[in-house]
Amino acid sequence: MATETAGVTALSVTNASVPGRLNNVSLSLAPGVLAGLVGPNGSGKSTLLQVAAGLLPSTGDVSWAGRDLSEILVPERGFLASWVPQEARFEFGFSVRSVVAQGRFASGDDERGVDEALRLFDLADLAQRPVNRLSGGERERVLLARALVTQAPLQLWDEPLAALDPKHALEVLMHAKRITRAGGTLLLSLHDLRVAYCLDFVVVLHEGRLRAAGPPEAVLTPELLFEVFGVRAKQTTGLTLELP
Amino acid sequence: MTAPWVQRFALPVAILVLGLLALTSLGVGDMRLGPARICAGLLHRDDLAATVLWNIRLPRMLVAMLVGAALAASGLVMQAYFRNSLASPGLLGVTSGGAAGAVVMIGLGWASASIFVLPVAAICGALMATGMVVLLARRGASTERLLLAGVALNALLGAVTSYVLSNFTLTYERNAKILFWLLGGLEDRNWEHVAMASPIVIAAALLWPLGRPMDLLSLGAREAQSLGVDVKRLRRSLLALSTVLTALATAVVGTVGFVGLIVPHLLRLIVGPEHKRLVPLTLVGGAAFVLACDLLGRTAGGLRVGIVTSLVGGPFFLWLLRRQA
Repeated sequence: MATETAGVTALSVTNASVPGRLNNVSLSLAPGVLAGLVGPNGSGKSTLLQVAAGLLPSTGDVSWAGRDLSEILVPERGFLASWVPQEARFEFGFSVRSVVAQGRFASGDDERGVDEALRLFDLADLAQRPVNRLSGGERERVLLARALVTQAPLQLWDEPLAALDPKHALEVLMHAKRITRAGGTLLLSLHDLRVAYCLDFVVVLHEGRLRAAGPPEAVLTPELLFEVFGVRAKQTTGLTLELP
Repeated sequence: MTAPWVQRFALPVAILVLGLLALTSLGVGDMRLGPARICAGLLHRDDLAATVLWNIRLPRMLVAMLVGAALAASGLVMQAYFRNSLASPGLLGVTSGGAAGAVVMIGLGWASASIFVLPVAAICGALMATGMVVLLARRGASTERLLLAGVALNALLGAVTSYVLSNFTLTYERNAKILFWLLGGLEDRNWEHVAMASPIVIAAALLWPLGRPMDLLSLGAREAQSLGVDVKRLRRSLLALSTVLTALATAVVGTVGFVGLIVPHLLRLIVGPEHKRLVPLTLVGGAAFVLACDLLGRTAGGLRVGIVTSLVGGPFFLWLLRRQA
């Protein structure tokens, strides 16, 4: 189950297992792909993202752009891949700007792209505000802006849309598409299956196993949705949202 | 947020305050010395002043400064490590570990064998305590969990100290020495103690460049690793440095509480949480705080420095708890 172009993979996970959480999952994504990771609560989405980011020990292999993760030293990993956690706890009152600028740590703290990221994620007015006094959605945008300034070609975002209002969620998706159009690869976990339909590739996890992977229209069939999520899918003429 | 000018001038102001406190510390005592006589004494142009300064006040002042810097820096490191602004060597039992190690050596009568015995024993005791805290905090370093771990460890290590006090055959001299550790004081500190505390300078120098990665660690270990911080290595370095800093301070002056809690906390309120600024400022601020507490104790009829820091730190800690709630 893979997206590959000319044999080059941006991310490859082979037979990854984490006891009790992930069971023999293999996955491979080509450069420039915007992929969604869906599955019920507890299906292993966050675990898979952390394994792919090299943050959680697992059996099996992980490679980025064809390089085995074990051969990449930690400081170099900082500008090859970026991981955004599902939620962040901020004990100390760092300013929004300084947290976003942390994304440049691996690149020598040069602050390149920090102001641009603050503007893109609607954080310019909050730049000097302490992060521990932000709302959940604002905190999420800070984490995403930090991931963006790393300029890492592989981005792994854990439920980035969960805490966002519709406008900011659409903006984040727009930025995600921009990243992949520029050749980056993005794997994001999400619960909104309507959003999953708009992505290039969808990976479905169920009880720690890879259930399906491929283009959304081929994967997200009513049968699979019923089997994995226990819901019946219906085509309706609902509300369509777009940015002005 | 803190104004940029406050951030810029905080360190020079702290150094100035430390300098003034140092001068006052050299001048205050049974024999009061003005700045001119202090200079004359330090340059051996005034024999009486030179004797008082070189034999009593200068080593006491240097020990106070080194110990203050060490305890404050140790607290700062633990707060970043555990991502909890209430973590400090005293509350977590690391200070008690160092004291227990030292007390056992005094009880056995081995402390006088070499000036290295007490620091090494204190480092071993503190390392054991740190190891236990890290194990207990593995499943999450919430305030409740850390404080309860600290309560348990302090009780356990207190029992070790009580056992030494009650069951070892002790001479009057050893008993007095043990009581000194438990109360924490700067009395009769001499150049041997300055030498014993001097590795604090090396530990502080090693801590200096870790400020920036500490920023990232204090926002989460996995996030820090994902951004390119070698978290495993950083954590090992930070634990080793904070433990050695606490243990050396405890070996030289006994248990002096609350410095590691108060100083980083107050300075964070003034200049913000960035460790690049906080590390040097905490070293200077810690030195100034213990020096000020010692001065206060000396002018208030000879209160020991450990009592003064606890008198200041106890209410501050309760205020912090109330603020967090």
